[in-house]
Amino acid sequence: MTEFDPERFEDKYVHYMTELQEAYKRAFDVMNEEYDSTLVHAIDQQILNESEPFYRDGEFRIELPPNPHDRVHGVVVEPDRLDAVLDRYVEELRAQLRRVFGLEER
Amino acid sequence: MSTESAKTEDDLREEVTNFLRRNFPQIQMHGGSAAITNLDVESGSVSLQLGGACSGCGISPMTIQAIKTRMTKEIPEITQVHADTGMGGGGGMGGTSPSFPGESRGGDLDSDDDEGPKAPF
Repeated sequence: MTEFDPERFEDKYVHYMTELQEAYKRAFDVMNEEYDSTLVHAIDQQILNESEPFYRDGEFRIELPPNPHDRVHGVVVEPDRLDAVLDRYVEELRAQLRRVFGLEER
Repeated sequence: MSTESAKTEDDLREEVTNFLRRNFPQIQMHGGSAAITNLDVESGSVSLQLGGACSGCGISPMTIQAIKTRMTKEIPEITQVHADTGMGGGGGMGGTSPSFPGESRGGDLDSDDDEGPKAPF
């Protein structure tokens, strides 16, 4: 388990690339199992490609790009459905980040 | 305009290629590829296409952000990075691109037995 250092996380793409990849990959796999693969891929490639994880006040936060709905194309999805799956995806990412860094809630 | 002190497009292209090789070897390790599709020296803008296994791998969004963040910090001439995986335009997923143009690329990779977009976790 990687020891987490919030200060190093500010330079996360230098210090924690492997851990971030693991968290993102695990979240993607979980989502892909549970939800429509086309939608999960669209969220992954069209919304999360402009997202960034931050750590503050003891928790991870995933900053999403503005107007995520406008970014999704190539897949037909109701806005409510997109919101729900996107929320779930973000929660899964946060959970996987906690897991990778050993910060899971007990 | 002036080409005397500024880096040429070829110089910058090579620098970007080397930067990717050095700092993001996982792109190739995971069976993906990164190609420079456009480079504007004057504006400091570079466009990258991640292809191959990157086109739906679950790691590429974060990798794209990492490339953007680090490249603009570490290569002063680059001020803007556009990167996509071929799905961003709503098109198909099949866009494969040659990996890292600009340098010899044969022989150093053995991706034949790669099972696709799987990370070694």
